[in-house]
Amino acid sequence: MAWRYVARHRFKTAILVLSLALIVFIPVGLRVLVAQSERELTARAERTPLVIGAKGSPLELVLSSLYFSLDAPQTLRFDAVDRVADTGLATPIPLSVRHRSRSDPIVATTLDYFGFRGLRIADGRLLTRLGDCVVGARVARRRGLGPGQSVISSPENVFDLAGVYPLKMRVTGVLAPTGGPDDEVIFIDVKTAWIIEGRAHGHKDLERDTLLGRDGDRLTANAAVVEHNEVTDANVGSFHFHGDQAAFPITAIVAVAPDRKSADLLMGRFEGPDERLQIVRPDLVVDTLIDTVFVVQRFVVAALAIVALATLATAALVVMLSLRLRRREIETMVRIGGARSTIGSILALEICSVVAAAVTLAAALTWLTSLFGAELVRTLITG
Amino acid sequence: MNAYWTIPVLAAIAGCTDTQVPAPPANTGPTVYAVNYPLQYMARRIGGDVVDVVFPCPAGVDPADWRPDDATVEACQGADLILLNGADYARWTRAASLPPSRLVDTSASFRDDYIETERGLTHGHGPDGEHTHGRIAFTTWLDPVQAIAQASTIRDAFASRWPEHSAGFEAGFESLRADLASLDDRLGPLLAASDGPLLFAQPVYQYLARRYGLDAVSFHWEPDEMPADDQWQLVAGQPATLMIWQAQPDAAIARRLESLGITSVVFSPCANTPDDGDFLSVMEANLRNLD
Repeated sequence: MAWRYVARHRFKTAILVLSLALIVFIPVGLRVLVAQSERELTARAERTPLVIGAKGSPLELVLSSLYFSLDAPQTLRFDAVDRVADTGLATPIPLSVRHRSRSDPIVATTLDYFGFRGLRIADGRLLTRLGDCVVGARVARRRGLGPGQSVISSPENVFDLAGVYPLKMRVTGVLAPTGGPDDEVIFIDVKTAWIIEGRAHGHKDLERDTLLGRDGDRLTANAAVVEHNEVTDANVGSFHFHGDQAAFPITAIVAVAPDRKSADLLMGRFEGPDERLQIVRPDLVVDTLIDTVFVVQRFVVAALAIVALATLATAALVVMLSLRLRRREIETMVRIGGARSTIGSILALEICSVVAAAVTLAAALTWLTSLFGAELVRTLITG
Repeated sequence: MNAYWTIPVLAAIAGCTDTQVPAPPANTGPTVYAVNYPLQYMARRIGGDVVDVVFPCPAGVDPADWRPDDATVEACQGADLILLNGADYARWTRAASLPPSRLVDTSASFRDDYIETERGLTHGHGPDGEHTHGRIAFTTWLDPVQAIAQASTIRDAFASRWPEHSAGFEAGFESLRADLASLDDRLGPLLAASDGPLLFAQPVYQYLARRYGLDAVSFHWEPDEMPADDQWQLVAGQPATLMIWQAQPDAAIARRLESLGITSVVFSPCANTPDDGDFLSVMEANLRNLD
């Protein structure tokens, strides 16, 4: 009889179940999400001893360097890499996260990064020359990429008609899945990033095809000089860099110090009022972020507690009004011989069914959150 | 040497990543790649039996202009250390993806003393406006003092990477240093004995000339290609008695030089593996040729 009643008033029951389920799920799901965020953030941060970047937001620097977020921090000069190396306290790994292929971040670095993160090639091989790229596991799966295929970097500004042409890059390998941000990006050599930025390029011999004039050592070529938009075995020799590579931009340096003492000493080298770079410990930056998240979580839970009280009061009111509306129905059950305890049990069973359904729904939602929470956190971080 | 490439932590990382990057050819011990033969020779003298030193450039090819295929670059990436000559030598290394933590620039200690041989053409494109690509003389090892400095860098890199063999590396280096110093002592007087300016058939002897303060005039002649008349006129105008060649010139070229009172002498830079002997024996042969 309880089931019949619940089924008959399914709309009202559904609203009650949903309200109660949300009241249970939101704080529990939030806790699961925060716990996963903490795990996701701290695990990678703890494996990254130090990050160096231009002065600015430490959080932005860490999120860009560790999770390849959309918001690229200010750039620093490449000679900062040698500055770190010359201290002998850490091994610097440059990073430049400024470009995309479609929506996938292109991470420019050196081969040392692959060893540092323990990345393994699942198919193909590592980068061997300019214009090569290695694709993260999820990017490869999503875009159907493999060795021998190619990807094209997206122009920074589609309206910049005179700007740098997109570079077609050769896929030399696909990384084994790691379950982390490295699965979601395309890796290139930092020198290839400078080609994308127009700081290095290859073109045909000016003297042979397109020379308009020559004044001593100064050449004037016509507009038909076509820059290569793809590095091939045939044209790789024509690629050259403009200007001083020491001044070329990168977005961060991961400094791999062998021990805490070296890390602390290195941090001391980047202190000072005139220092234009910042050096941060990602674990501390992430701890600060997580502390903030916990504070926000406490506020949200407190607010939810008040909402929960209001919802429970409303639910109780709904039940009491419902009982009043059902007075004649209950009297009829008494007249036809129904014991008061039996009638009470039926009514209690109705309420318990609603609560059980709400708890089940909340549990299902929490389970789904635990399944997709990590990915959701990653998406939120990388934008 | 730049500390960048020598600190122990990345050496440790490199050790951990041997399974992640392609392995060099069958070898169970430490492997070092060198971009030219002189570096391979020095590394072998210093490393002894501890280190397997690979110089991947095929015979008969100038390592300065050689470009390895992907498989060779891949093998190179798996090496424990990669010895670069510096001074823009082996241009393929600029376009290749190599692990910086394992690169050793052997001439970094005298980088400020590189000789710029010519200014390139000024041109402009990209965000930085006009620029010029200069060229740097790269046969650094022909100055024995610079060769000793390169050997010293190799010793330091080896000792940092494999500290347990430091004593052996030091002994190997001292022996090599003595040989190169002896070479230095004998080269100067021999080269200075030439009357008038010293002619160099190819522009690869800049560091040798600087070391011994030679009055050097460089040409761009090939041993197997008769120079044009305007080139002969340039030679005829020189009060020289000696022209230095990388390889024996054709008999016709040598005869015509003789008719001008100029003797052709081979002084091999030995950039690639010699057919016979080793770097030191080639340098000894160069000395005999000059004598």
